[in-house]
Amino acid sequence: MNNMMIIGQYVPGNSIIHRLDPRTKITVIFFFVVFVFFANSFWSYALLTVFAAVSVIASRVPVRYIAKGLTPIWFLIVFTFLLHLIVTKEGQVAFEIFSWKIYTGGIAQGIAISMRFFLLIVVTSLLTLTTTPIEITDAIEEMLAPLKKVKFPVHELALMMSISLRFIPTLMQETDKISKAQASRGVDFRTGPLKERIKAVVPLLVPLFVSAFKRAEELAMAMEARGYQGGEGRSKLRELRIGKIDVLIYILFICVVAGLFLLRS
Amino acid sequence: MKIQTLVVNAVIAALYVAVSMVLLIFPPLAFSNIQFRIPEIFNHLVVFNKKYFFGIIVGVFLTNIFSPTGVYDLIFGVAHSAISLGIVILLGRIIKKPVTHMIANTLVFTFNMFIIAFELYIALDLPFFWSWLTTAAGELGIMAVGIPIMYALNKKVRFGQII
Repeated sequence: MNNMMIIGQYVPGNSIIHRLDPRTKITVIFFFVVFVFFANSFWSYALLTVFAAVSVIASRVPVRYIAKGLTPIWFLIVFTFLLHLIVTKEGQVAFEIFSWKIYTGGIAQGIAISMRFFLLIVVTSLLTLTTTPIEITDAIEEMLAPLKKVKFPVHELALMMSISLRFIPTLMQETDKISKAQASRGVDFRTGPLKERIKAVVPLLVPLFVSAFKRAEELAMAMEARGYQGGEGRSKLRELRIGKIDVLIYILFICVVAGLFLLRS
Repeated sequence: MKIQTLVVNAVIAALYVAVSMVLLIFPPLAFSNIQFRIPEIFNHLVVFNKKYFFGIIVGVFLTNIFSPTGVYDLIFGVAHSAISLGIVILLGRIIKKPVTHMIANTLVFTFNMFIIAFELYIALDLPFFWSWLTTAAGELGIMAVGIPIMYALNKKVRFGQII
């Protein structure tokens, strides 16, 4: 359970990627996710792979952390590859397995789709590996700021996220404590039919909700007592700033996108 | 937004993430936790009070940030929840009985799994209808199981009055 208490995947560090403004990371990753779908040739995939590899190296995040993040989705990648291998019937017959013909088009399509998904996961996971959840929250608040004009509660939403992040470890400990208490009374979460295990979740959720709402009430009272009045005129502990490195990264990324379109077949 | 509403929503979001992570302790339940998340039953909270909307959305958002697939699920996952919850809140104007409303909620969330199927289609080129069917089956299962659970919980906790 102790390992579970480390929420998120953030790996502390002082690399160039760590020091980037979180807004830069979110913007670049967002457009990477969009532009990766434009890759359609060997060289365009090669360029994006080099970009992903350089980003990983620059982040100085140990490869084992990235590999760990990929563990749950290996199945999906392999499944997708095999599906395209079987379903796609384009090109020439490459070989036969038990009288099932495998086409060159199927192999190419399988590799391309798997590679695209692999790149997506590696690059997007760099955001959570090099940025704390609080930084992400701050960045989202800044990026959604224009929506304040249409009365969207941007500040409240950001504050909600910050409070949530503060409460997650507490509620996880609480969940662990309650589940152990229920287990000591004979509740079995691990074995038996699915229906019984779902039923066993109820005595876990009731005290959890009661305790969570009690904490919420106490916090709301404390905030009211201290005169909390929303986001108007509030200053920030952490100010986000776009620096020279951020500008450099934007230029580099634009070059990569331009290269991608040149290398498309 | 009232302080009470803000804080209760924050705690609901935290609970969503905490319960998602605790699921990992129960591997048999988490075998397909991409779509079979126990806290999906929290979606029924909007039936008791529409103000739970933001808490659920933030919960989904934070859970997806912590998930191994990273920010990739963020857009589609959050869009699925926001659109579905919006429809369910609108349905609340004509459906007054909580159980009927929860059944409608289950059907809306299940139907809207086409958004996730579309995500799988564009990301992995997986067959759209096959993905829709499988993801919808998982959602239908967990949301249907959630109806009696949330009904029972509401009798003890009174969700509608807290926020």
